[in-house]
Amino acid sequence: MNVELQINNSTSTRARFVSWVPSPCRIRITNPSGAASSHNMNIKLSSVSAASGGEVVFRKGTTGAFASTITLSVPINGTSVPFFVAGRFGRPSANNGDVKIEARLGNALVGSIKLMVRVRKNANNLTTGERDRLVAAFAQLNNQGAGRFADFRDMHTNVSSPQAHGAPGFLPWHRAYLIDLERELQNIDPSVALPYWRFDQASPNIFTLDFFGVSNTLGTVQFSPTNPLQFWRTDGVPGINRRPFFATNTAPPGLRTEAQTLALGNAYPAFRTMEGNPHGSAHVSFGGYISSIPTAARDPLFFLLHCNVDRLWAKWQRQFSRFDPAVAASFDGAANPIGHNLPDTMWPWNGITTPPRPPTAPGGALASSPCVSAPGPQPRVRDSLDYQGVINSVSSMGFDYDDVPFA
Amino acid sequence: MTELESNNSLSEDEFASLITDLAERPAERHQLIELLHEDHPIYDQRGAATIVRMRGWILHTLSKDQIKDDELIFVLEELDTGIDPYLVAAAAKALRSYPNPKRTFAPFVVHALANIRYRDEPVSFSEYGGYGDETTILQELLATLEWLGESARSVLPELQALVSQPAGLSKKLLNRIEKIVRSLEPVNDSTESCCLRLRDRFTWEPRSRKSCTEIESVLFEDQNHELTTFAEFFKGQPSIVVFFYTRCDNPLKCSLTITKLGRIQRILVQNGFASRVNTAAITYDPEFDSPERIRGYGENRGLLPGPRHRLLRARDGIDSVRKHFKLGVNFIESLVNRHRIEVYILDAQGQVASSFQRIHWDEQEVVNAAIELLDESKQVQDPNSQIGHRKSAFGNTFGLLASIGFAFFPKCPICWAAYLSMFGIAGLGQIPYSPWLQPLLATVMLINLGSVWLRARATERMISFYLASAGAIAIISSKFSESLKATALLGIVLTLAGSMLSTFSGRRQQKELTSH
Amino acid sequence: MTTKRKATKKSAKPRSTRAAMSVAISKSKPVKERVAALAEVPLAVCESDKDLQATLNVLRDQDEPIEVRLASLQSLQAASFSVIAFESCRADYIATLRKVATDPNPELRQRVLGILAREKDGFAQKKLLEGLQNPTKALVPPEKALQLLSYDIHSEAYSVARKVVENPPNEDAKREALRLLAADAKSAPLFEKLLRDKNENAEIRQISAAALQALKPEKLQSNARDILLDDSDYDDIRATSLTALTQFGDAEAVAKDETLKKHVGKMSEKGGAKVKRSARQFMSKYGR
Repeated sequence: MNVELQINNSTSTRARFVSWVPSPCRIRITNPSGAASSHNMNIKLSSVSAASGGEVVFRKGTTGAFASTITLSVPINGTSVPFFVAGRFGRPSANNGDVKIEARLGNALVGSIKLMVRVRKNANNLTTGERDRLVAAFAQLNNQGAGRFADFRDMHTNVSSPQAHGAPGFLPWHRAYLIDLERELQNIDPSVALPYWRFDQASPNIFTLDFFGVSNTLGTVQFSPTNPLQFWRTDGVPGINRRPFFATNTAPPGLRTEAQTLALGNAYPAFRTMEGNPHGSAHVSFGGYISSIPTAARDPLFFLLHCNVDRLWAKWQRQFSRFDPAVAASFDGAANPIGHNLPDTMWPWNGITTPPRPPTAPGGALASSPCVSAPGPQPRVRDSLDYQGVINSVSSMGFDYDDVPFA
Repeated sequence: MTELESNNSLSEDEFASLITDLAERPAERHQLIELLHEDHPIYDQRGAATIVRMRGWILHTLSKDQIKDDELIFVLEELDTGIDPYLVAAAAKALRSYPNPKRTFAPFVVHALANIRYRDEPVSFSEYGGYGDETTILQELLATLEWLGESARSVLPELQALVSQPAGLSKKLLNRIEKIVRSLEPVNDSTESCCLRLRDRFTWEPRSRKSCTEIESVLFEDQNHELTTFAEFFKGQPSIVVFFYTRCDNPLKCSLTITKLGRIQRILVQNGFASRVNTAAITYDPEFDSPERIRGYGENRGLLPGPRHRLLRARDGIDSVRKHFKLGVNFIESLVNRHRIEVYILDAQGQVASSFQRIHWDEQEVVNAAIELLDESKQVQDPNSQIGHRKSAFGNTFGLLASIGFAFFPKCPICWAAYLSMFGIAGLGQIPYSPWLQPLLATVMLINLGSVWLRARATERMISFYLASAGAIAIISSKFSESLKATALLGIVLTLAGSMLSTFSGRRQQKELTSH
Repeated sequence: MTTKRKATKKSAKPRSTRAAMSVAISKSKPVKERVAALAEVPLAVCESDKDLQATLNVLRDQDEPIEVRLASLQSLQAASFSVIAFESCRADYIATLRKVATDPNPELRQRVLGILAREKDGFAQKKLLEGLQNPTKALVPPEKALQLLSYDIHSEAYSVARKVVENPPNEDAKREALRLLAADAKSAPLFEKLLRDKNENAEIRQISAAALQALKPEKLQSNARDILLDDSDYDDIRATSLTALTQFGDAEAVAKDETLKKHVGKMSEKGGAKVKRSARQFMSKYGR
């Protein structure tokens, strides 16, 4: 007998990625030969991890506790049975396919599927493989200045900056920006997830020749000859300028710690002042591209910086249950500039180029995912809040942070 | 050209002195205008920031003695698409030197305000290249809005939106805007029409278009590495051509131009013209803009590449292309240092039939201009043929004669005989009285009037139509009363004037435009 | 009976903006406290013109300790990211930066010119070019000036960059001049020459490879091949060449090149650490 397992309700290999959020899955019997019953068979599902690999847990429905194994009654006639899989919190994957779901009928293995518990991790703690895959994907996306990365660079300029800064839409816009970029990286290598730069802690492993480079005294970033980021090019100019004003084996001074940031307040208007410190302060703890708005997105470190900003928001949301746009404290409901109100669509994904929006909208619609449908090609500000699908499971955006649980 | 042709080695101080000197000689004012053309040799091998200082100083100098009509385009262009603070401020200041405010100006000022409000900077005009802080861009723009006064009424909604959603605008500036808004409210439904035509569109009649022989063999490479010559791609049907380069750092120029070309392509598809009108985007920077780069650039801006819709770089002969189109561009090393917005409509022979420059163009208008050429390419094959022109002149003359005939048509057979004998035309006495001729002549007169209207619309000079209409009304009125008989003569004179103006207006306009 | 006091934990909650600002601008407070206070309140300048002017004054005041001035600069810079909120501050901010660009303190000058250069500020470019043409007027070292001028590829720095490459005051300046010239397509022959010159240092050759890859990829491909087949060339440049071919090479052409693949296969077993690593990456893509 054989069974077919679907992750995220898809047979595509590109959909075999889960995070802490329950992913809808299905099982069905494809070959009933040798089946003892003519109706249903009891199939047990369990997680098998490679060394240092991820681990998944199961539950049958949309509520209830997760378990290490479940047993499902699966009809012999091929009708599929739904169930849910999530990564076990604290056990993310390091490589694609390093966790397997096995389906057994008694002791007999009747089916298996490899998948990955893919979450955003602390960039300082990545394995060599994770690090190398990330820089390779970034370099491919940049493609010496001729690749799709140019769109992401063009989304963050002086002309477009009012769409994303200095008003309540700052966090939702950057969340959408990151997910768009991450999905483009995953189109190149699906095992890649954007890591975050924990800027309130020392992160010496990030600033190395094999990763995001070592700056000389001038601020020119140097890479190992084996690092494809040595071919990085933006605005027609090769290389990256980044001069740290701190020793990179320490944290930049003067930044609000995570605890201080989370303590800014339990309502969004107070919390979003983190745009100044630690966000702005992290940017200006360097000289070079990352320290000015018109050039910040030329440095790929920008995305790791903002990944941490987003993580802080995610943590704050988890701490105060701020996922529901209908709850006043989840956002800043005052009349805001266009693009900064909950019902507003967000540029550039909305394609709107009439004033007061910028004159062009690079990149088109937000990238889709084979795993989830949210936030959609033209997300609204409100769509960024319920990123884990806490309020509505279809809102889940398919990403998670290694230290922000779901339940 | 000018004494400045070979002077790209002038220092900026020498340049400033030269400008001051030219400004003191009113007869040399045209040289200052020449210097505003991007392809002027004085800008060759200059950096973009230097050119900003130079152009800003020219605008500032021109404004000391009232900006003229034909200089306005350079001022409005900066307000429309400028992102250089000094130049935008200089343009705002220069506009105020125009003799009187016009409604046309208001949208440009508000557009500039929207473009530049989050990049306010101090500027100074007390000396060349000064980076002092005597004023700021926003202060200059607001001063211009205040100067516009009542002429800013059309942008009242935008100003009201600014007041209701000031974001980070300073209190001082907000107070000024509020004052402007108060002075314009309540809304007055004035029907005063926009009164200034901008010289941003140029059209050439078929026989006066420049032959493209010199560039027919220029080899282009498209976004897929496919090669084609100018003649192979552009001859056979009309084309819409824009120029761009991928390293343009003004999103209001190349990025927007290519985005708009994509919209044009969609309009062509929707209206069934995509296979009959080519579109092409040619890079100013063929050495750097490889096929991969131009393909990515176009795709990321929504272009729809296809056999008749391509992104091109010149493999050789880019200098010939520049000369042929008289492109408004200059370079430092191999990089563009400044360029204007420019789009060209080519006829089926690959000749430039019309162009839109400097101010942003409307996609539908460009498409219409190209589609008009489709009819043309069906008619006359020989680009040097006089037939088209002669047809038009003949039509106007015939229409005029019909008007005269209708005006003086005899009421009765006796008058009919008298007219014919007066003209001493032997044998015409044999022609019986033909009253049916009168309505026929009237119809021909009205058809002539219609043709004058079409021509007036195309050349944007309505005066010929107004004259011919007045003439027709006078002629028709004369039929209804004996006391209005004399108006028939007036009607003929007016009709004659309108017809002549209509016939010759195209030729005169083309002369004026080619002298720019 | 004495009551033990509970040790008070350092509060995670930040102090009020007013309290922080008053420390920040107070000349009587210790430098460290003022620096810390300035870091706390970047957005304060957006909310109050008084706070903005006070912070700008600190930045301008040459009598203030340099650490405090640098901290005020960082605070303003951090605030400038909040574009909408910063709108009313920007003109005064830019005016102050231009004044401070000629400050006696070199670190402050360099940072301020960097901020202005990234905005493609004409004032900053003019000053940097003047300094390159006339070293007595230089506000920053030549290598820094070239680096800052490279923020705007439309700047007028190309001719002076070529002179620096021919006659460099130091290696850093030569390197930055080459980075700047990499924006000019006409410089491709220069980069090809430098790439093949074994007497050039590794970094210059690496920059040349990157520049050539962008300007004339087919040239980089053929040169990279020659370098790889030359066992006498240095490991660093061979590793760079391998990385270029692996990541960006003409896959079809490389896949057919049996000579190259055989040679790289040997490198994956016998070369130095960097070469081995990049050779293995190459082989995993192009197979054996």
